[in-house]
Amino acid sequence: MRKTAPIVIAATLALFLPSVCLGQTVASTESLAFGDVFPGVPKTVVKTSASAAEFTITGTADAEVTLDFDLPSYLSTTGGNMPVFFSSTDCAVDSTNPPNQGSPSYNNQNPYQTITYRLGSAGLKVWLGGQIVPGLAQKAGSYNATIRLTVTYTGN
Amino acid sequence: MADGVANGPSTATVLTMITATASQNLNFGQIFGGTPKSMGYNKDDSSAIFTVTGQPSAGINLELILPEYLSLANGSARMPVIFSTTDAAIDTTTVTPSTVGAGNGWINRNPHSLPAAVIGSGGTTKLYLGGKVVPSVDQKAGSYSGDIVLSVSYTGS
Repeated sequence: MRKTAPIVIAATLALFLPSVCLGQTVASTESLAFGDVFPGVPKTVVKTSASAAEFTITGTADAEVTLDFDLPSYLSTTGGNMPVFFSSTDCAVDSTNPPNQGSPSYNNQNPYQTITYRLGSAGLKVWLGGQIVPGLAQKAGSYNATIRLTVTYTGN
Repeated sequence: MADGVANGPSTATVLTMITATASQNLNFGQIFGGTPKSMGYNKDDSSAIFTVTGQPSAGINLELILPEYLSLANGSARMPVIFSTTDAAIDTTTVTPSTVGAGNGWINRNPHSLPAAVIGSGGTTKLYLGGKVVPSVDQKAGSYSGDIVLSVSYTGS
């Protein structure tokens, strides 16, 4: 009887050991770059282009995550703002390995809404396009803004 | 609770604003009733001159709104004005109306349908315009005028 007690205790503890998730990273790997813009001429960057914003997420394969953007309304320079718009289809997500920006697996997503998807073996790529609308008398200069992407595991 | 957050930049460079200025009137000078008078785009002191400035070498669209008549200030009389299909020239090198040639841009162009053009490499392009007035034999004496409106915009290229 004395010899069996430690074995029972060890088995009970094992039931409460949590599963271990791998670490997750999210990084901005490409800027949303509109390049040179003429006053009065709107310019669009599509999500499939090399000028689209790109975020790279790594983590536990097949884990479900939510993606939430915090999008700017303007690009700014000293003494000037320029409207920037994002349409309801300006975002694309892809979990394939290697990533396929030209034909992403989860395409035409609304960046203003929470996007839920699963990480692939190589994580996730997220691309974002947009449009800027400079005024006729838009001040010349370099404009910029920050796009924030928050990634959260759902636990599923 | 967020597991990861990344901030990505969005960037753009806005180029020089485009401007258009009426630099010189289309001046027909003195005319006689019943005697039409033409003014070419190549007259340094009498052709209309519009000056457009903007981003060097950028594509632009030019559109003229041309009057059909010149009028007395009090509106009591009008005189037809006509613009032919060769009455305009576009100069990207900012020479002069009398010296502009094909190598300087576009010559002998239709002011009712101007070609797509560019801002000159120096940041300036000029439009020269001529025309023709046709006074009647009993045209009322006086000083006649009309507005010529030039609209310019970038093509985005």
